[in-house]
Amino acid sequence: MTSRTLFFNVIRFFFLVFLQVLILNNINLGGYINPYFYIYFILLLPFGAPRWLLLISAFILGLSIDIFTNTIGLNAAACVVMAFFRPFVISAISTGPESLIGDTPSLRNQGIKWFLYYSIILVLIHHSVLFYLEIFRFSEFTVTFIRVLLSSAFTMVLVLISEYLLYPRGK
Amino acid sequence: MRNLFFFLRNHYFYFLFLVLETFSLTLLFNYNEFQGSSLYSVSNSVSGYVNSMFNGISEYFSLRKTNRVLIDEMAKLHSRIPEAFYTTDVNIFYKKDSIVKLEYKYISAKVISNSTNKRNNFLMINKGAIHGIENHMGVIIGNKIVGQVVSVSPHFSWIMSMLNKDSRISGKFKKNNQLVNVEWNGGSYHIGQVKEIPKHVVIVNGDTIITSGNSDIFPEGLLIGTISDFTKVQDENFNNGEIFFSTDFNSLGYVEVVVDLMRKEKDDLKASFKTQQ
Repeated sequence: MTSRTLFFNVIRFFFLVFLQVLILNNINLGGYINPYFYIYFILLLPFGAPRWLLLISAFILGLSIDIFTNTIGLNAAACVVMAFFRPFVISAISTGPESLIGDTPSLRNQGIKWFLYYSIILVLIHHSVLFYLEIFRFSEFTVTFIRVLLSSAFTMVLVLISEYLLYPRGK
Repeated sequence: MRNLFFFLRNHYFYFLFLVLETFSLTLLFNYNEFQGSSLYSVSNSVSGYVNSMFNGISEYFSLRKTNRVLIDEMAKLHSRIPEAFYTTDVNIFYKKDSIVKLEYKYISAKVISNSTNKRNNFLMINKGAIHGIENHMGVIIGNKIVGQVVSVSPHFSWIMSMLNKDSRISGKFKKNNQLVNVEWNGGSYHIGQVKEIPKHVVIVNGDTIITSGNSDIFPEGLLIGTISDFTKVQDENFNNGEIFFSTDFNSLGYVEVVVDLMRKEKDDLKASFKTQQ
């Protein structure tokens, strides 16, 4: 990892934490939907990052969010699970060497199909762990499931918008 | 020994995952015990300062609404001062009597963080222990309920909103004083559940539910909401209903903390009964 990628990732970390805490946590559509866009940080970690760094940075990211929402451990647990599955998801959906070009996963390098599979699976894993841990009872299973799906969709919309805004095609 | 070392090195990813996950879950499930600990008060004051900084900006966007609420409140208070009463007989309003004693005191505070979109919602306010706030005090807005104080740091308090799976408020029908319990099952922040309505009570949509004053947290007679829907359960002794909350939990600006000045006396009374037995 070059010092340039390290720098960008640190900046992205702080930007996403503050965006989540100050703005996105106040968004609430219909009582069900609220986006957890901060996990975009884990999605965009470089391919070459060592796997222990994935887990540790995900843990710190989750804990930072937890400090502001007073749910110590909740987001941290969800982020660590997500970071744990990331290498397996990447190797499962990558068909050839061309799917790992570039430094970090992106829509431009890997193509829309690869990126959609990659982000949808990881976002669903994160949101499921987060919502079911928060509620921690099975009597509200279906309601929670709907919340997971709708919030994942909202998060995915934000991820795709920022992919198109920050990394336009044909640059 | 060397094999064990290689084994650990080859599978360190799994072990690290297990360690971090166990650590997070331990934090999560011991969360209530952590509330008094140093970790909790550090995170409480860090997030408190950031939230109050950001709230200083976002406050401007709701000034119009805050003004309206304050004017309403002022009108209500004006109508209660002695000058507002028609004084034909002075003796009726003579209140310097040892029997009339203040039971409740109110501390106003500003909400600096709030949520309605989670299953368990909390608020943070900018008053804390040094202002006289303690655990288990009720929090209201106007004459409507908001929640209950669950944790206090020197300058901030953490309040469990009515919109929480652990919130359960003792209420009653305004029309006939029949006791019920009010809870929130998630979903829309306007709608709650009324549990344990006795079978013989005739329910009509629009019936008002107020606090019963049985719980030591809220004074009697605060508005909880109105019945918006109900079902008659055949086999059980109680009916259930839905309640439309009078409080708009998504736009809380300034709230008041209820200080029960006679709480110690009430607690002592209960404790002395327990020791007698």
